[in-house]
Amino acid sequence: MAEIDTSGGGGHKDGKVRAKKMSTKVDLTPMVDLAFLLITFFMLTTTLNKPSAMELNMPKKIENPDDKPEEVRECQVLNLLVDTLDQVWYYDGLTVAGLQKTTFAGDAGIRKEILRSKKRVLRECGVSPKTNKPRPLICLIKLMPGSRYKNMVDILDEMDIAQVPVYAIQEYSPIEKEAVDNGGKVTTFATGN
Amino acid sequence: MIDIPSARSMTKIEKAIVISLSKDGKAYLAFADQEMRRETLQKMVERVGERFPDLKTITPEQTKQFGFIEVFGTPLEDLPRVLKLNGGDYKTYQDKLPGIPTDSVHNQLADWIWAARYANPKMKIAIKGDKSTNIKDVQRVIEILTKDADVHRFNLITTLGGATTTEEKKEE
Repeated sequence: MAEIDTSGGGGHKDGKVRAKKMSTKVDLTPMVDLAFLLITFFMLTTTLNKPSAMELNMPKKIENPDDKPEEVRECQVLNLLVDTLDQVWYYDGLTVAGLQKTTFAGDAGIRKEILRSKKRVLRECGVSPKTNKPRPLICLIKLMPGSRYKNMVDILDEMDIAQVPVYAIQEYSPIEKEAVDNGGKVTTFATGN
Repeated sequence: MIDIPSARSMTKIEKAIVISLSKDGKAYLAFADQEMRRETLQKMVERVGERFPDLKTITPEQTKQFGFIEVFGTPLEDLPRVLKLNGGDYKTYQDKLPGIPTDSVHNQLADWIWAARYANPKMKIAIKGDKSTNIKDVQRVIEILTKDADVHRFNLITTLGGATTTEEKKEE
C-alpha cells in the first residue's frame, strides 16, 4: 500500500535489515532562544512614535505705528478658502471673482495651484524696494465655519510643502462665505478683504 | 481619545504645555512634569483666589494630589471637590472630564496658561486637536493664546503620516 513509513522500518515483519529508529522529537530550545533574541532586538530598536509638531506664528499687535510693514501688492495675494467638504476654493488678488475649487489630494490638488501662483508672483509682481528681492507670494487662509481642525493642519502643511514665505490665517468675509455657499458663484462684486 | 491629524513636519516635541481639544471642543491641559503642575496650581490660587474663595481651602496634600493628574479638565469652581475625591471616584470622574471653560465670561483657560507660563516660562505651548474638532473651537483657543495669554508662537501637534494622508483624503 502507498504509505509513508514513519516508524523507521519497524513495521516490517520479515526480519530484514532495518534502519535505526530515529527519535521524532525536536529540541525546541534553540527556537525559543532565537524568538527571545528577536523580541529583545525589536524591542530595543523600535522607537516609540513620538508626536511631531508644526510651528505656527501668529502676528503680534504692532506697537510702534511708524514701523509699518511693507505694503502688499494686490497681485501677490492668493486666497485659500477651506470649506466643510475638504475642498479648497481659491482666487487671486483682492476681488472675489473667478473662484475655483480643488482638493487637498497630493500633487494635483491645491499644491499645484500654490506653486503656479508662486511662479506667477515671481514673474509679475516685480521687486520690493525695501528688501530688493522679488515680492513673495502671500497666502491668505480662510477657514469657513464648520471646517475641521484637520483641514487647518492640511492647509498649513501645504504651506510648508510649497514653502510659501508669507501666509496668514484670517477671518473670512461675508462675500466669500456667500460665494462658497453658492458653489463659487459671486453675486456681489466687492473686495473680499 | 484624540485622533491627531497627520502632516509632513518632523520636528519632535518633548516637553510642552499641551492644550488638548476633543472632538466636541472641550479643552484640557496637560503638563509634562508633576512639580510644574503643583506650581501652576499654586500660582493659579494666587491669581484667581479672590474670585474663587473655595480654592483657598486646597490643602498642601491636595496640591500634591494635583501633581499626579496627567490630563486636567475641571472648571475652577469644581476643583476643590474633585481634589477631595478618592482614587476610585476620581477614576469614574476622569472618564467624563467636563473640560476647562473657554468662553469669554469664564475664560479660565487663559488663567491656566498664564499660571503655567509663570511656573515655567521656557516651556513651549502646543495645541493638540482631533482631526474632526470644529475649527471654531481651535480658533477660539488660538485667540485666547494670542490675545489673552500673549503667546504668539506655538505648536500644533501632528503625526507623521506623509504618504498616507493623500490616500485618506481620497477615501473621504
